[in-house]
Amino acid sequence: MRIETCYFCSSRIYPGHGIQFVRNDCKIFRFCRSKCHAAFKKKKNPRKTKWTKAYRKTAGKELAIDPSFEFEKRRHVPVKYNRELWTKTIEAMKKVEEIRQRRSNNYIMQRLRKGREVEWQRDVREVQRDISLIRSPAAGLKQKQAQDDAEMEVEPETIEVVDAKGRKQVIEAPVMVPATGEMIEDGGDVEL
Amino acid sequence: MPYKRKKYHQGDTHLKKRWRVRNRKKDLDEIDEDLKEENAEKLLNQEIDLDRPGAAQHYCLHCARYFIDNHSLLEHFKTKVHKRRLKALELEPYSIEESERAAGFGNFKVPNKRKIVTQNSENTDITERDSEVLEVIPNKKKKVKENAT
Repeated sequence: MRIETCYFCSSRIYPGHGIQFVRNDCKIFRFCRSKCHAAFKKKKNPRKTKWTKAYRKTAGKELAIDPSFEFEKRRHVPVKYNRELWTKTIEAMKKVEEIRQRRSNNYIMQRLRKGREVEWQRDVREVQRDISLIRSPAAGLKQKQAQDDAEMEVEPETIEVVDAKGRKQVIEAPVMVPATGEMIEDGGDVEL
Repeated sequence: MPYKRKKYHQGDTHLKKRWRVRNRKKDLDEIDEDLKEENAEKLLNQEIDLDRPGAAQHYCLHCARYFIDNHSLLEHFKTKVHKRRLKALELEPYSIEESERAAGFGNFKVPNKRKIVTQNSENTDITERDSEVLEVIPNKKKKVKENAT
């Protein structure tokens, strides 16, 4: 009795399950269920079918290369029975299985962690871009203006400006603070 | 209990016939085996078999098909079917061993990509044959003329 592996999805086939197909070159294709058999008959490529182990390993979804996979393998080398070896192997198998499980789980978690990082960066970018939806860009401008106005009160509110025609005029200082400074300078430049 | 009224698989026979065992064509991994030099040589220089199309003299390795003459074989090389097959063979085909490796028996190997080129068809041969044909035709005409005279 042996637990075989499915040709298509690489899952285990227990005795009494599945179906097998012997091709005319004596190769035996075993299938765990009719789903895999039908996919084989339709010549589907297991590497491109997302639910198979072959896909998950080629696409880097699961741990594919690791020394822990090298223990369980078809070797085609006969081993003479030895009780001590047998008992030790049984013990080792449990440990190897545990290590393998841990490593493959760790691999998946590492892979997912990367996605979380990307997600976090995307969130930050979104907040920076769309902050105006929560907080208006004009918020606090009025307050600032009022503050600046209070500062301006110390300075004279009217300025003498000389026209292009040479007439002198008295103008009230415009409200916008940074702009007024410029305007005053401009007025000075215009003097002819 | 209501029974299923609609027949979902009616008229499917023509589809199912395609994947009957007797209609099986060579799989990609078998063809991959054929592409090895010693096998390829055998397949390209087959003995005359009158049961096969073209007496098994014009064989496309990649598509595992017999053609009736060299002309149709050369035409076949230009088709989509053939080019698609070349593309499909570029990656090493999936095998039973790979399914075991995917199951965790041994390290999984990522399939290699290779360059697949159409078998070198005898282009020179066909031009030679053209000359033969050209030679033959005037002879025939002469014979006809001789007969007429």
